[in-house]
Amino acid sequence: MSRIFITGMGIVSAVGNSVAANHEALKANTCGIQYKLDLFPSKYAGLLPFGLVALSNEELLKALKVTESGVTRTSLLGLYALNEALADSKISTEEIQSFDTALIGANTVGGMCLTDELYNDANAKTDGSDYLGSYDCASVNLFLQRHLKINGVINTINTACSSSANAIMYGAMLMNNGYARRAIVGGTDSLAKFTINGFNSLHILSNEICTPFDEGRKGLNLGEGAAWLILEKEEDIKGKNVYAELTGYSNANDAYHPSSLSDEGDGPFLSMQGALKLAKLTPDKIDFINAHGTGTENNDEVESRAMIRLFGKPPAFASTKGNVGHTLGAAGAIEAVYSILSLQHQEVYANLHFKNTIPSTGLTPVEWYTKMPVNHVMSNSFGFGGNCSSLIFSKV
Amino acid sequence: MYIHQTYCISAQQDLLQDDIEQINEPIDKKLLAIEPSYEKIPPGILRRMGKSIRMGVGAALPLISETKVDGIILGSANAGMDDCVKFLNQMVQYEEGQLTPGSFVQSTGNVIAGQLGLITKNKGYNITHIHLGLAFENALLDAMMQLNANASNSYLVGGVDEISPFHYNIETLAGSYKSEDISNKKLYESDSPGCVVGEGATMFIVNNSADGAIAKVKAISSLHSSDLDLVQQQLKSFLQKNLAEGETIDLFLSGENGDNRTLPFYQAVESIAGEDTAIVRYKHMTGDFATASALGLWYACQFLKNQSLPGHMLKRQSSKAAFSNILIYNNFKGVQHSFVLVSAN
Repeated sequence: MSRIFITGMGIVSAVGNSVAANHEALKANTCGIQYKLDLFPSKYAGLLPFGLVALSNEELLKALKVTESGVTRTSLLGLYALNEALADSKISTEEIQSFDTALIGANTVGGMCLTDELYNDANAKTDGSDYLGSYDCASVNLFLQRHLKINGVINTINTACSSSANAIMYGAMLMNNGYARRAIVGGTDSLAKFTINGFNSLHILSNEICTPFDEGRKGLNLGEGAAWLILEKEEDIKGKNVYAELTGYSNANDAYHPSSLSDEGDGPFLSMQGALKLAKLTPDKIDFINAHGTGTENNDEVESRAMIRLFGKPPAFASTKGNVGHTLGAAGAIEAVYSILSLQHQEVYANLHFKNTIPSTGLTPVEWYTKMPVNHVMSNSFGFGGNCSSLIFSKV
Repeated sequence: MYIHQTYCISAQQDLLQDDIEQINEPIDKKLLAIEPSYEKIPPGILRRMGKSIRMGVGAALPLISETKVDGIILGSANAGMDDCVKFLNQMVQYEEGQLTPGSFVQSTGNVIAGQLGLITKNKGYNITHIHLGLAFENALLDAMMQLNANASNSYLVGGVDEISPFHYNIETLAGSYKSEDISNKKLYESDSPGCVVGEGATMFIVNNSADGAIAKVKAISSLHSSDLDLVQQQLKSFLQKNLAEGETIDLFLSGENGDNRTLPFYQAVESIAGEDTAIVRYKHMTGDFATASALGLWYACQFLKNQSLPGHMLKRQSSKAAFSNILIYNNFKGVQHSFVLVSAN
């Protein structure tokens, strides 16, 4: 297995449109979640808070110089963050288009953000909109492939809310198995009326700003965004900015319930344990956990319990869902960027809106922005279907 | 990587039916799957399952309900799509009122692998690749990589997609299907745009043990391009890399689907496969869909096992008495290309 390093990052989220802006926002305890929804008409506009990216579709199209019709917000957010990651890594156009460059992206919404168009097309009420080829999730990476002329392995992964953690993992596996020399990995999702109503029907959306790991937590807030990492091998990183090393990853299934985690948290426990095993690290070596921490009753308690089961006394941990909301298929990649920022700057960011520990676990997340030595960070992502994944990033 | 067991659900009761007169014809231009009675799925759960979930779970359980595997790796372009639009329709019709979450929970692309993990209590590696016409190929590649990292493991690998009414409407508007009614017996003579849509679920048990295996998956390669030359180049380098000196392709399993827009790609690949390579087609039996190539791999396994094939599948005979190396080429919508090299044990 070759060592895999991160040489480029790009991100767009509710707290900023670049890595630098996100970094400043995390340091400043910025919450980007607001009672504002102007992307589409919805009865929940103004009633529920969301983590929206502060770029309209028109602004995105203009900034990205996209003239192709039928491109969805999910794809545009994806390209926006991808451009930053590619520029940051300084990989050449020739390298981007080389047959050994893989593009592995995750998303769960695809073109479902286009409620009206999808409704009309799927029910054959029109002659067909511009978006016929854009509803499925693969359409995002097909668009990015066309736009950047990528020739290597391309894949789209959907394991619900853990999707982009698995995209990062799959890219690393391709590199370890000789199917790619470098990999562009990440995820994107835009806010959709579909997901708002879906999560609402499960009664797990909070009508207040979410409070991960707090005793009084009422549920999650949906967000949107995108993030990408450029993965390169040890032999290709000379003279480059190297942000971190990807040392561990693992995927396990909770096998308990379609939309909630088991009491014992077997899936989270196994994915965290598997990532440690691959990284050849003992639990005490993890300095910080970027928790999945959605703010739902079920997730935060089970994740806490699984951390206690594995670590005994868990290391410092926090969720950034209170900053940007739950960005679903983008969450794993966005939180990978945040984990890497912690390693790069030797600091950890506050778990916003936390007040009281959950009595049954007694765990308190990081409450203030703190400078501290950080050598290894674990990042957790758990999703519907019992899909649990954990990544470990290490200081270089 | 070796294939040890297979199971599939397709438009044919007997996918190896010799007599072309006996094969099922499209109904309303659709080659609908002949579904089994799903005895292994608990009735209470079965009732609530959408068709792709039912077919996927139903094709997998015969292989993994008794044999334990270390992980579940699926490819599906549109699993959950039917429930997705059902939920969407509910949302539009009730103006975002009180909605029932059933369809939403079943609308995520990973729903089949998740259900299989749940039903078989499998806590191992669990993933769903959804990259349209390369969803199954990525699942296959994933399994190969998992086996490189965990040599003694076994995995379930499969591909599933259904003809959901909503997806059918979208693809019809997009011009993906033939506008004329056509018998599948005449599919390859049609010379018109579009395919005949099919659906199905195909599952395999794979591991690293050659002992008693049906087939070996030697290599996989994929490409996104609409450039014929690039596809030919990629195939040449794929064969050069994966065939030993003097080794040839005995059988070319072509994903030809009657769409005259993609036919030039299949013809170009045929021209590289070799003069004494038998050419075999299967999509008149299965119809075409994003993960139909999983049924292609199922066919390759049966041909290697039986060393015979129905005559109506042959496009070109070869003088070879037996076949070992099979090349499967699939082209999805003229842009997504895959090459899979399979051989006898």
